[in-house]
Amino acid sequence: MRRGFRIASGLIGLLFVLACLAWSGQKQPVPVSILMPAPYADASTQMVEAFNREHRGSIHLEVIRGPLETESISDLAISSLLLGDTPFDALLMDVTWLPKYAEAGWLEPLDPWFDQAALDQLILGARLGNHHKGQLYRWPLGADVGVLYWRTDLMDSPPSTPEQLSDIAINLVQTKRVTNGYVWQGRQYEGLSCNFVEVLHGFGGQWLNPATGQLELDATSAARAAAWMQSLITTGASPKAVTNYSESESLQAFKAGDAAFMRNWPYAWAELQKPESNVRGNVGIALMVAEPDQSPAATVGSWGLSLLKQSPHREAAVEAIRYLTSEAAQRERFLNQGYTPTSKSLFTDPELIAVSSALPEIAKALDYSVSRPPSPLYAQLSDLLQRQLNGLLTAEPEKTNRTIDTATAASAAAMNSVQTKSDMLLRATGAEA
Amino acid sequence: MTVLLALPALLLMAVVFGWPMLRYAWLSFHADSVLTGLVPIPNGGANWLRLLTDSRFWLDAGQTTRFAIVSVGLELILALAIALLLDQRWRGRSAVRALSLLPWALPTTMMALGWRWIFNTPYGPIEQVAEAAGFGPLNLLSTPAMTWIVTVLADVWKTTPFITLILLAGLQTIPEDLYAAFRLEGGSAFQALRRVTIPLLMPYILLSLLFRMAQAFGVFDLIQVLTGGGPAGSTESLALYAYLNGMRFLDFGYSATVMVGGFLLLTALILLGALLLRMTGALRAMQP
Repeated sequence: MRRGFRIASGLIGLLFVLACLAWSGQKQPVPVSILMPAPYADASTQMVEAFNREHRGSIHLEVIRGPLETESISDLAISSLLLGDTPFDALLMDVTWLPKYAEAGWLEPLDPWFDQAALDQLILGARLGNHHKGQLYRWPLGADVGVLYWRTDLMDSPPSTPEQLSDIAINLVQTKRVTNGYVWQGRQYEGLSCNFVEVLHGFGGQWLNPATGQLELDATSAARAAAWMQSLITTGASPKAVTNYSESESLQAFKAGDAAFMRNWPYAWAELQKPESNVRGNVGIALMVAEPDQSPAATVGSWGLSLLKQSPHREAAVEAIRYLTSEAAQRERFLNQGYTPTSKSLFTDPELIAVSSALPEIAKALDYSVSRPPSPLYAQLSDLLQRQLNGLLTAEPEKTNRTIDTATAASAAAMNSVQTKSDMLLRATGAEA
Repeated sequence: MTVLLALPALLLMAVVFGWPMLRYAWLSFHADSVLTGLVPIPNGGANWLRLLTDSRFWLDAGQTTRFAIVSVGLELILALAIALLLDQRWRGRSAVRALSLLPWALPTTMMALGWRWIFNTPYGPIEQVAEAAGFGPLNLLSTPAMTWIVTVLADVWKTTPFITLILLAGLQTIPEDLYAAFRLEGGSAFQALRRVTIPLLMPYILLSLLFRMAQAFGVFDLIQVLTGGGPAGSTESLALYAYLNGMRFLDFGYSATVMVGGFLLLTALILLGALLLRMTGALRAMQP
């Protein structure tokens, strides 16, 4: 009896050792983990499944569903990177984070994997904002620029100058055809900077002069741009509430049919075509307005995938990045979720245009793309601008009737203050913009 | 023996509170930002010089102090009234006691998101009512003065239950006999409140004041979600400014300086409060 027990236990032990050997002999797939904001992660579910089917046994991709808000994603990523042992191999990054992350030494250049030919087939709006100091650190997942939405049932053609936009909006509000004329993003957050950059270029100005490396917010164009944004509120072309609006509030007002114009990103198009939208079929897309002798501009807001320096699975991670950004993936994301593609060729694809008639207009806006200053200190610079600009927009108008001159003087003072504080910050930290 | 028994608690305090504080104090004498490659480099008192001349720090310090004093003051008055009510015997008291804790139990972020929609212009219920009553748009979250009131309101709603709870516990330690004796002597209910309840409740009031002041001074989540510090930075708190410098700007040296600076200010504020209390206490003792 005792002997039988011994043999049995010996056999079980042997089996266990053999099982261990067999298990260790089998090739384990390389795990790749990518952090994305929730909407992008949700939009990639099927693609991830397909990738894992195709790479069974070699790579296992997992997309981590992060928070919804842009800055919360950044906080999460930065926390994990600071601790020095991040669980992520790649990160879906907003265009403004890149210089900061690259300068902090968290990113691995992608130049060995993506050549000039690959870059050349990207549309301008997707090509901008992927490089820092001459190296490629990000590959775009979707193109994104600010555009002007207008109501085809309220006017024949969209306005092209700031003056026209104000006039039409005021007229429509005064004749009670809409309650809100023009809705945009005036809340004290990054969206306000995006709105401002478009208007600033439309008035012939720029935030940072790339040739000299100097900030140019003390120029007359900046004061005039800010004065126009302020005048939208004081003249009633925009409701005062836009000074606390982000994208979702603007979209809600426009979707409800309460506004004649909206500044937003291309994602809003699909939302406006849904059955519950009051403006379905009555929406057009145009470029942001510009002075008659100036070129219109669209702020780049794209997301792209970056490889983290700490990643031990570089080749596998790049394979996943390639797969998620391929033309097939772009097509799928556009057809299913309405995310704008990045390859030039897809913008003329009849199948895609059949789904969204707005695609050619978005392609046009992408050709007028402008970037926000590509500085590692961008977050500080933008914060200074947001504070002053939001202060200007929410200031109580003086009791006496404001003339154009006093309005411009106030905005010039605000812009000069941003310029002075930004220059002080750059000097205090010894940095170049 | 006493020291020995207190040792585990003291050690725990040193690890979770003392060490980070020392670490921040050390960091505040270093440049540690994206420009130094996130490596701390000693820079003498440069951060502190910057803090002294940083108008935004002092503005935020003033705003934070004002927020803490006004909201904690309002909470104390409200909480005392509610605690007195909940201490009385009436039908359904236990249900209301449990319900009154609800705001405190809700996560601040969720609550702040809720308030943001409640105060939304033009779709929030408050604006809808104002609109219907003919008051036009109030723009609750886009005028600095209004927004400040709204943040105080949200904080009062959320944390009054905390003080209520402490005061209610305090009320239950006051023996019924004292009131009976007071009534026997011909004292009115209001006199009982002034002469019996409040003096005996004082330790609990001070305790909750201390807790809440420290908490309100470090307010972050409510403001971050409700206003993001706007409009025009008028609701920005010191904690939010420290967070911006650290997590958003990756300037950890200066972020630590803001944090330590805020801590020093809070300590000064509490010492000042204690001093004032002692002085008024001494004054009262002099009166016959």
